[in-house]
Amino acid sequence: MSQVATAEVFHHDDNAQVKRIWKTFWILLVLTILELGIGLTIYTIHKGENPSHTLVLMFKGLVCILTMAKAFYIVSVFMHLGDEIRNMIMTIIVPLLLFVWFIIAFLWDGNAWKNLRNTDAGSRIYIEKTHEKTSVPAKQNGQKD
Amino acid sequence: MSNEAILHDHQTGTHDLGHAHEHHHHETFITKYVFSQDHKMIAKQFLITGMVWAIIGGLFSVIFRLQLGYPESTFPWLEDFLGHWAKGGKLDPEFYYSLVTMHGTVLVFFVLTAGLSGTFSNFLIPLQVGARDMASPFLNMLSYWFFFTASVVMMASLFVQTGPASGGWTIYPPLSALGEASEGSKIGMDLWLISMSLFIINALLGGLNYITTVLNMRTKGMSMTRMPLTMWAFFFTAILGVLSFPVLLSGSILLLFDRNLGTSFYLSDIVINGKILPNEGGSPILFQHLFWFLGHPEVYIIILPAMGIASEVMSINSRKPIFGYMAMVGSLFAITALAFVVWAHHMFVTGLNPFLGSFFVLLTLLIAVPSAIKVFNWLTTLWRGNIRFSPGMLFAIGFVSLFISGGLTGVFLGNSALDIHLHDTYFIIAHFHIVMGVAGMFGMFAGLYHWFPKMYGRYLNNTLAYIHFWVTMVGSYLIFWPMHYEGLAGMPRRYYDFTNWESFKMFAGLNQFISFVSIIVFAAQLLFVFNFFYSIFKGRKVTTLNPWGAASLEWSTPIRPGHGNWPGEIPEVHRWAYDYGKDGRDFIPQTEPVGEDESKH
Amino acid sequence: MTTATAQPTTKLWSGGKSPFNISYGKVMMWYFLMSDAFTFGAFLISYGTIRFSQNVWADANHVFNAFPFTGHANLPLAFVSLMTFILILSSVTMVLAVHDGHNMNRKGVEKWLIFTILGGLAFLGCQAWEWTHLITGDHQVLVNGVVQHWGTTVTHNPWGPETLFKGKEVATPGPIAFGGYFFGITGFHGFHVFSGVIINSVMLIKTRLKHFELRGHYEMIEKAGLYWHFVDLVWVFVFLCFYLV
Repeated sequence: MSQVATAEVFHHDDNAQVKRIWKTFWILLVLTILELGIGLTIYTIHKGENPSHTLVLMFKGLVCILTMAKAFYIVSVFMHLGDEIRNMIMTIIVPLLLFVWFIIAFLWDGNAWKNLRNTDAGSRIYIEKTHEKTSVPAKQNGQKD
Repeated sequence: MSNEAILHDHQTGTHDLGHAHEHHHHETFITKYVFSQDHKMIAKQFLITGMVWAIIGGLFSVIFRLQLGYPESTFPWLEDFLGHWAKGGKLDPEFYYSLVTMHGTVLVFFVLTAGLSGTFSNFLIPLQVGARDMASPFLNMLSYWFFFTASVVMMASLFVQTGPASGGWTIYPPLSALGEASEGSKIGMDLWLISMSLFIINALLGGLNYITTVLNMRTKGMSMTRMPLTMWAFFFTAILGVLSFPVLLSGSILLLFDRNLGTSFYLSDIVINGKILPNEGGSPILFQHLFWFLGHPEVYIIILPAMGIASEVMSINSRKPIFGYMAMVGSLFAITALAFVVWAHHMFVTGLNPFLGSFFVLLTLLIAVPSAIKVFNWLTTLWRGNIRFSPGMLFAIGFVSLFISGGLTGVFLGNSALDIHLHDTYFIIAHFHIVMGVAGMFGMFAGLYHWFPKMYGRYLNNTLAYIHFWVTMVGSYLIFWPMHYEGLAGMPRRYYDFTNWESFKMFAGLNQFISFVSIIVFAAQLLFVFNFFYSIFKGRKVTTLNPWGAASLEWSTPIRPGHGNWPGEIPEVHRWAYDYGKDGRDFIPQTEPVGEDESKH
Repeated sequence: MTTATAQPTTKLWSGGKSPFNISYGKVMMWYFLMSDAFTFGAFLISYGTIRFSQNVWADANHVFNAFPFTGHANLPLAFVSLMTFILILSSVTMVLAVHDGHNMNRKGVEKWLIFTILGGLAFLGCQAWEWTHLITGDHQVLVNGVVQHWGTTVTHNPWGPETLFKGKEVATPGPIAFGGYFFGITGFHGFHVFSGVIINSVMLIKTRLKHFELRGHYEMIEKAGLYWHFVDLVWVFVFLCFYLV
């Protein structure tokens, strides 16, 4: 939509526009509260006896999706990108697709370094340390590390 | 607020400037030559700063080539020149690394990025799309002054007691992160990082201007597909810069933190001088990822402008339309897109996950497709053309030759299996010098010989130009072709002295030869510098508006255009920029309306 | 340009006008923000990469569980939620300022800009408190068989896995990169908030001096608004990466 046109729209539905802004605010607030709720759920799962990693991962995925939704509302309504013409939207969205491979490649490699470290570069099998709270002896005076 | 009014607002601003010379508007030396907001003057500022850096960077290579070619000899004059860096005329090993590092940094960033795309994007974009100036002349000026400040900081690092950065132009940590690790990792490294951060701001400001000008400021009738290929090339170059340089900025900031604040982004498990460092958990490979996320697009930032210039110069001097215009645009786009997704092919042997590496092999080899399209289109543009071997044209043809020879070795290196053998040898030196370094310089020379009349209203001397071309062309191949053999034999790059290795002794003569030729080629460049400055003041004057018979818009301006480019209205455009040899006419300028019985292209 | 006269919208790309119907300044601002998105993206992705390379990481629910004036109460995520709320609210006031600019309502622009600046300052204040709390914190950490007292800094991370020492649960050192990334990225974001506050203050002064009224449009407010919303957008992702997942 051209700016000339938007200016006219503002004149006609001034209140509608303000209402839309506040509506977006409430959506963002609800999304943030949902995220917070999920964060606290993860917290309680971790405190439990046998934390289910799949469940935690699922919740984390959900938070990521909610974040994307928040980003969409900020960019589309607050930054008025949704009101621009299609070509403009595309010049913003298409370059951002680079982030897909950017993220995949980096995190993949990060994970690979962990495997290398845990297995002394593949020379032995990795046995996951169960974080059992083993007692550490106190250091004696004059004892070397 | 309407867009037109804003544009008009801006318009009146530059329009006044356009008439400045008529009204004898008050213009001081400072506003005209120093803090100028005229894109043509800013382009010249980039060019001349770039030339100063090119001489310095080239001189560095001559000095370290002396060490490589004549490892047993001493050069007492070096001590007068370099002081304690060359005691007794023998280059200090630490300083050798500094020279190698600075040669790479200066040539890649300061000459072939700022000097090439800074000069020609600034000079040509407003002229070829039909605009009074850049979208924001002020930011454009700021862009140059950030580059100038970056230059001052980098220059200052040459004069500090411990010397400039010496970890290679890729400044990999942990070497670059720890001041104790080497002389060059002390203050010189900090200055390098600061200078590069300033340089990134320059690239960002410039790039934003180039993109916006090409998108928003085209004159009436100049649709995107009527633009000369130079415009497309600079447009994509700017996109590459705007999206990839910030990643290097992030990487540099994290490296500065590691150096000065004791963080552990890149450091882990390090013992230095018998001391165990507390840093733990970081990864040096992370820096390589961040560096090459910029570093790979960076090589296209260098080569795309050269491609655009070569296409334009070649079409004009073949008196033929460029072959496959849309295919040329499409392949530029494909190269731009692929440039962002192949970075880890520089890291096959650094501990990158090999399975991940195989994806990078695939993506890397895909680049061969658009590159081949471009090469064939250049060759078919020449085919049955009415070729004028002007100096600009010779350099454009030389560019294609170099791009082919250097590009083919890229196919070798893109395969991770072969790269294990060839990595960090002279083979890679040969590859990227031919395909990026020398080819980029050739693009720059083609552009300079071609547009010098537009820049200064005078011609460069042709005799000197032909000498310059042939010495550089033959010399470049003589320097870099033998390096392929050395590299295949396993000779590693960046070594100070090869005399200790029995297996490399056979290359002693060859190394001497390479050093000898590189001195001659360097001298030929000085000849060009002389020609350049001499011709600014004493060259043959341009007397016609359009000396090359070119169709594009910049030749419809006065011989020495003022600020604002066109004295009256900006001309309207009616056709693409490549109507050469059409309907029995030598060329038809873009400003001429399409006739009724004209054939379709 | 001079040739920019009314043309049918179907010919947006034929030259003589902006193909997006946007002034060059806004186009530039958008692409600058793209570039900045890659700066932040690179920081956050580096953080993710290092985190993926570690077996353990600091648990956000333990690190960020304090709230001003509540002593040692365990209130995970409460304070950062407040910060997020403040920033979203300031984004709303900013977009209202832009909206009033469209209507050439100078008083309205001034009012909403003041609220936005206050929101930005409140956010910076919160961040200052959080940083101080983390750095000056006092946590028992078992290092080489000796209990030491650490705060969270760029060189020390007291949030490693807990272990039994003399019958008591004590933390061990965690990955050092945690502090570096946390302070580095929130600091870089805070720097953006700070510069946003400066920009908005300049805009406020220029509005009061009727610069935009005389110019006939409030486009500068729109550009400042784009920047401010971007800062909010980045915080959404910082919130995700450091506090939630």
